[in-house]
Amino acid sequence: MNRLGLRIIMVLFAFLLASSAFSDTLKPGDPLPRNETLYFNGQQWGPVNGWNPYSSNNNNAMGVAQQDNARVIVFETPYIYNMIDGKQYALLADGPWVWNAKRTEITFKIKAAAKWSDGTPVTADDVAYTWTANLKYETQAGVGSKDYIDAITAVNPRTVQVKAKLSPDGRPVNPLEVIHYLSSNYVIQKAWTMKLEARCGGDATKFKADPADDFVSSGPYTKFFTDATKVVYIRDDNYWGKDKSMWGKLPVPKYLAHAIFADNNAGFAALKAGEVDVSQQFNANIQDLWLKDKLPISTYLPEAPYGIGASLPTAYYNLKSYGLDQVAVRKAIAIAVDYQTIISNAMTNQSATFTQVPRSLMNPTAGEQALFDHAAVKSLQWAGNDIEGAKKLLDDAGIKVNSDGWREYNGKKLSYVATCPNGWSDWQAAIEVVAAAGKKIGIEITTNYPEWSVYQTVVTSTPLPPTGYDILMMWSDGAGPTQPWSRIRHLLSSEFANTNNNWNGNWGGYVNPAADALIKAIPLESDAAKLKADYTKLVSIYLTDVPSFTLMYRPQSFHAVNESVWTNFPRADDGTKPPVPPLDMTDGYAIAGLYNLKLVK
Amino acid sequence: MFFRGGVELKGYKQYFLRKLGWFGITFVVAVLLNFILPRLMPGDPVAVITQKVTQGMTSQSGVSKIYQQYAELFGTKKPMLEQFVLYVKNVAHGNFGVSFSQYPRPVATILRESIWWTICLQFPAIIVGWLIGNMLGALAAYLKGRFDKVLMPISIFLSNFPAFGMAIILLAVFGITLKWLPISGGYGFDMIPNLSWTFVWSVITHYQLPFWSIVLIAIGGQAIGMRSMSIYELNADYVKYSRFMGIKDRKIITYVFRNAMLPQVTGLALSVGTMVGGALVAETIFSYPGLGNTILKGIMGQDYPLISGVTLIVTLMVLIANFLIELIYGLIDPRIKATQAD
Repeated sequence: MNRLGLRIIMVLFAFLLASSAFSDTLKPGDPLPRNETLYFNGQQWGPVNGWNPYSSNNNNAMGVAQQDNARVIVFETPYIYNMIDGKQYALLADGPWVWNAKRTEITFKIKAAAKWSDGTPVTADDVAYTWTANLKYETQAGVGSKDYIDAITAVNPRTVQVKAKLSPDGRPVNPLEVIHYLSSNYVIQKAWTMKLEARCGGDATKFKADPADDFVSSGPYTKFFTDATKVVYIRDDNYWGKDKSMWGKLPVPKYLAHAIFADNNAGFAALKAGEVDVSQQFNANIQDLWLKDKLPISTYLPEAPYGIGASLPTAYYNLKSYGLDQVAVRKAIAIAVDYQTIISNAMTNQSATFTQVPRSLMNPTAGEQALFDHAAVKSLQWAGNDIEGAKKLLDDAGIKVNSDGWREYNGKKLSYVATCPNGWSDWQAAIEVVAAAGKKIGIEITTNYPEWSVYQTVVTSTPLPPTGYDILMMWSDGAGPTQPWSRIRHLLSSEFANTNNNWNGNWGGYVNPAADALIKAIPLESDAAKLKADYTKLVSIYLTDVPSFTLMYRPQSFHAVNESVWTNFPRADDGTKPPVPPLDMTDGYAIAGLYNLKLVK
Repeated sequence: MFFRGGVELKGYKQYFLRKLGWFGITFVVAVLLNFILPRLMPGDPVAVITQKVTQGMTSQSGVSKIYQQYAELFGTKKPMLEQFVLYVKNVAHGNFGVSFSQYPRPVATILRESIWWTICLQFPAIIVGWLIGNMLGALAAYLKGRFDKVLMPISIFLSNFPAFGMAIILLAVFGITLKWLPISGGYGFDMIPNLSWTFVWSVITHYQLPFWSIVLIAIGGQAIGMRSMSIYELNADYVKYSRFMGIKDRKIITYVFRNAMLPQVTGLALSVGTMVGGALVAETIFSYPGLGNTILKGIMGQDYPLISGVTLIVTLMVLIANFLIELIYGLIDPRIKATQAD
């Protein structure tokens, strides 16, 4: 046998031998027990890099993700956000948090039952030290919140105090962002953090690059196995959450597993084959799976839009492009777009229509829809495909059609490029509809689809190029404890108008001092009526000035389930109190769904 | 014998050194291109990472801070020459650097994990495709008639079939419709690697579709090449002469196929040389872990060190394969050596 062949066999043998070490709870050769394992897709792309909760680059999205709806299967936050009712529920915390009278300090307690995976109690000191480490080592959580949080301290072993950063006038800079921290960022064990610090010699880069295979966590699952093809988590049967002060029991699946698929098509095939129970990816024409293929697959809502829209994929106008500084041009294009075609073609009806949920700055959830006066902005809203209305708008503004059939502004033809990243098929389909609308009203709009790496470099830099990026598609915020304020800020605030590394929003460069003032005022406002008035004014400004326009509603997470093995997944109106949101039973309060699952057989 | 005297040995040494010199120069140029070409791609890799790691961050100063941290860490803002010197120093010590897209994993670790999947998929596929294709091509040339008439169109059809088309057809027919074989991954979705027959069987069954999607296309190309060469050789003067001499057909055929094999061997060596970068389509369609998938992710994430690492391996393997072919040709065919020496 030649040397290469021998080496391959030796490596295979060593690989098999080494891998057998993982089968501590499974007999050698046993597959993961199907009736104890919940399979996912769409959460994890590529192999896991590490488990370090201080790192923002673990590529461990299935397990470690500090975000608006933090993923809490391994590490836990004091509170978990529920996007359905807009409330934060206590997880590690004991009861609701409390502001002081001036809204400069928040106090909350830690549950007596809360324990780390090594059996030691979770304490207020852990919460405080996590913040100290986040600041010291400039982690994502630290640099993201230091403008809003001054200090987090342990009043006693079970009581935490969070001090807001104050403005010169003595008022908190942004109370909403302080609240946001409590359900978005993990509590990490102080003892383990100190061990990590000692290992890295206080070096910030090493601290954040450590893969942290020895992590200590407080969540119901921990790592079991990872390789280039999958990641598997195993339930910690000593999980503190089985205490009556929290869930009162363990989550039902013993294993959570996520195969690493090359793309959506591979994930879709696995969902159809029953190899995936929970699908967090866009599956086109999802209804065909139960209507035509008769598979036991379903979604959160039984009918279109099948899920709850949370974010607003948006077309931004580059306000420096010729003619796009004119409201008439911007509004004409926006009202001419056939949104029904976008929703039926690009989203295969997995979005509410603009007739069902008229456009504003809010997502379709009941909580956000209640935050503005619908009647006050009704005359400003449009459902789209209004070609005659758009033409009239342009004619009235003196933007006439020339002999070639194209419209001119001050003697120069209006010609634009609409763009989004290549390969984002639903976005590309939407951009094509925008371009078609332009043609119908005499404005030339061509399309261009750069690769994502190029696209994102260009749109996050200032200034945008003079051509090629006239109408560009980007996202907006989804659901979270700072919404809809944060989404509005990202759509309208001038603080992002001329900045580099701008991942936040307002990519078109819109500046409106009146909008800025309202955006600044809302986080400090606690009067519900005043808040509603302010939000209504912002919606009115947005629909009047049209610096950008929403193309569709998109769910926070896609949530389709295959009930071949497991059932009793979260559904709209399933009677759960509080309602379990459709976030794949991993994010925020959605984790409650793991405790309700049942086996089909 | 070619090394009958000192003159031949000296000639071969000259030939060898000259080849070695040229391959050395090629290697230096290749290393330079491996470094420069990924960096000529439009776009900013740090921006890609910043976007990934700052999701949910609302503070603009915080986002900028994260961007600066990664820009400094990856050294992308340093002068190109400084980056190149560092790269060469690291490569000389076998250090390909740290991956941008899979930070903090070293590129060497990523390559080590994925290369064996690719070699185990590609190497047998190339060999099997080569053997079957050559046998069929030789038989078609020798038997002619109906066998040739059936084989040729099939071979042309297979060899011109796009790799992704073949993979998708196999996936749809044998994976989705007939459900005979698994369609995704390197082993069962419910398996944890362990030393058991169940796991090995799972690996074998997952291997089938990507393997045959490569083999079937290879068979067509090899069969066409071998058939043409064999027909050419069968009509050569030495064959006619051998027949006049009364040498048996079986003996003549061994001469014919040995000669016809020469260019096919070259093709095989080159295929083996390029195999690490060649299974991209099969690996992507079947979600098969391997170097093809790794480089695709590297390119999408503008992961310079990862791209450079993979392309360096491909370059080295191609150069080594070429070098060996040249050396062997120098040994077995004195005309080539003589021409090159002139």
